[in-house]
Amino acid sequence: MPSAIGAKSRKKTNWAPYFLIVPTLVYLALFFAWPMAQGLLLAVREEGALLTLRPEPQSSSAIAGRLPRGTRVNILDQQANLIPPDELSEANLVTEVWFQIRAEDAQGQPVEGWTPGQRIRVREVDDNGAPLAGTVRPILSSTADPLTPVYAEPDGNSAILTALESPTPVQILDQATLEVWYRISGEQDGQIVEGWAQSRYIQVLSELTQGRIDRGNTSMLTTRHIQRMVSDRFFWPAVRTTLLLIVLIIPVQFVLAIIMALVVQANPKGSGFFLYVFSIALGVSDLAVGIVWYSIFTQFGYLNSLLQGLGLIDTPIIYLSARSQQWILIAVWLAEIWRATAIVMVIVVAGLQAISREVLEAAEVFGATLWQRIRYVILPLLRPSLQVALILRTILAFQVFAVVIVLGGGDIVTVLANETYRQYYDLRNFNVAAAYASFILLLSMVSAIFYLRAVRTQEEVTG
Amino acid sequence: MTVTADTQPAPDQVSPEVKAIHRRMLRRRRFSRALSYLVGILISLWVLIPILFITSMALTTPAEVRSFPKGVLPLIPLSFDTLEFFLRSRGIIPGIINSVVVAVITLVLSTLIAAPAGYAISRFVFRGRDAFRLSILAVRAFPIVILSIPLAVVFINVGIYDSIFALALMHTALALPTTVLVLSSVFSSIPYELEEAAMVFGCSPVQAFRHVVLPLVLPGIAAAAIFTFVLSWNEVFAATILTIQNRTLPAQVLVTLNQSSEPYQFAGGFFMMIPALIFIFFIRRYLFNMWGQITK
Repeated sequence: MPSAIGAKSRKKTNWAPYFLIVPTLVYLALFFAWPMAQGLLLAVREEGALLTLRPEPQSSSAIAGRLPRGTRVNILDQQANLIPPDELSEANLVTEVWFQIRAEDAQGQPVEGWTPGQRIRVREVDDNGAPLAGTVRPILSSTADPLTPVYAEPDGNSAILTALESPTPVQILDQATLEVWYRISGEQDGQIVEGWAQSRYIQVLSELTQGRIDRGNTSMLTTRHIQRMVSDRFFWPAVRTTLLLIVLIIPVQFVLAIIMALVVQANPKGSGFFLYVFSIALGVSDLAVGIVWYSIFTQFGYLNSLLQGLGLIDTPIIYLSARSQQWILIAVWLAEIWRATAIVMVIVVAGLQAISREVLEAAEVFGATLWQRIRYVILPLLRPSLQVALILRTILAFQVFAVVIVLGGGDIVTVLANETYRQYYDLRNFNVAAAYASFILLLSMVSAIFYLRAVRTQEEVTG
Repeated sequence: MTVTADTQPAPDQVSPEVKAIHRRMLRRRRFSRALSYLVGILISLWVLIPILFITSMALTTPAEVRSFPKGVLPLIPLSFDTLEFFLRSRGIIPGIINSVVVAVITLVLSTLIAAPAGYAISRFVFRGRDAFRLSILAVRAFPIVILSIPLAVVFINVGIYDSIFALALMHTALALPTTVLVLSSVFSSIPYELEEAAMVFGCSPVQAFRHVVLPLVLPGIAAAAIFTFVLSWNEVFAATILTIQNRTLPAQVLVTLNQSSEPYQFAGGFFMMIPALIFIFFIRRYLFNMWGQITK
């Protein structure tokens, strides 16, 4: 036994690192994983699409069936039930007030119980307007029971204690608010579904025997939001422009970033200056970059000033309008290259620094030209860095947003992130916005997997 | 140059062929050095000229901003009228205050949460370390900005929608993965032997961290914090989605873009750029810690 304990204590886990990473894990779970899951759900779920019907007018009873929102229903019966106080703020409640009364029945016996408020004419109120006393109303209809029942509980299902005639005087002890439940029947997929539901979910039409399900209380998985997204008139233009921009921007950016990195690497003295200038764009927001390029491409901007100054044009050209989409694309293209090359450059410089000097010197000693060194030594050794930069850059490119709004006005030329924003902000359509967000996520993951795969197979082919 | 001098053997021992190779290398080096300066200056112009444009638009009179054709020489006439007009516009000063508050909360939160994790990654070998690192990298690679849609719905339900604190929570999620990776590389750059030595001389682990490691890593942590500040200051998408009344500066500029004049827009663009121009200068040496780390 002692040896076993010894072995165990030698293998004792050091818990310190786990304590140290817990805050990060908790934070990312709370503000990353959970919202991400919520977002995916939001895209495929519809809140309140179905109304659950109960066999009894009780929320706790079993499920009789479900009807979708908007179904026409027949109202077969109605009954009031006590409503919890915290649900009184719900919209569209049809309520009844019941009084707890004390009175003498026909035999002169005192009786205490509950009765619907509409059956009592209130004759005395206190200072706050709360009823104190009244009389039982007469029932005028010839077919109905002329007596007013008194229930043991504020509930039409409870035992009837007695029945009072009009105009028995009553003392009002207390009152309760009840919500009306309807027994409804409706048709779904050729089947009749019947059951009880609360008034808040049902819009009663004028005849009082007809109604319509106004909202549901149960969510449903649906492809409706995705269908709405795909059939939106901006969807395909947004997909096209996003992908087109990625294809046009990324190759140029990588060539430029590698050149920048080589310049930084080649100038030990001047690299401080070059490094600073090349990385400025890393800290500039896409909104500011959009405005910078707007000042160049706007009708009375720098480009037209320059062209006119050189005598190449007589009147300013309008670049950023619905009729010149290609110019908007060019402006966005330039702005994105200006802004987002810096991050690729930094990753490439970090990769270059990891390449040992000896390798580069050896290539130089053996007479390799600059191009040969880049092609056969530097680029192959940079591959891991380039792969990471490619993945990161592509994913960031799917999120391009403010540049396009500034230069393209938001609807002439549109991208996926802009559509997400429009659906959320202008159209207040959270579900479709979440569908767009999920679509961007899907595209990002597909492209990341594609790059990882592509690089791996290339390695397998080359050796 | 120094490298060449080191590798060069004594002159009396080398053959003429080797000398020729050296001459060729030197010539080639001078040529590529000159070429790299030339290319570097060209690229610098490409980066700097647009900044010069927006600066000269922001620091001149509104009348000059509207004039056409614009002068070739920038900053004539030099005037703060445009900038002042922008700063006096509705919602701009509160927006700047909100932006700064959000950015400060974000950098404090993300540094406090990320520093222990970064330390754990760099100092301990523990089961699940690689999985943790990989998941942090994966989170970094997610399009985190799109989280703002579900977060907005959650925040509305919880009742903290349209609050700058809620926005700071979102920005912290945005910055956290990068901060963890950067701080772990900052800690890795301090040899563990220093800590060990302090403990040999009687420091507790906490004291060793406090008196030996912390002073050494503070510049790196500060650089990471500045980068987080800039990240939050620049963020537009989540800021626009998560706020209505309490807008940050970029959100305010974006939503009023369509109704605003060109002097307002240009001054706004310039104003948003200022922190980048200043802060990137101070942290430029640390940028490789930040992004280089990601490739490992």
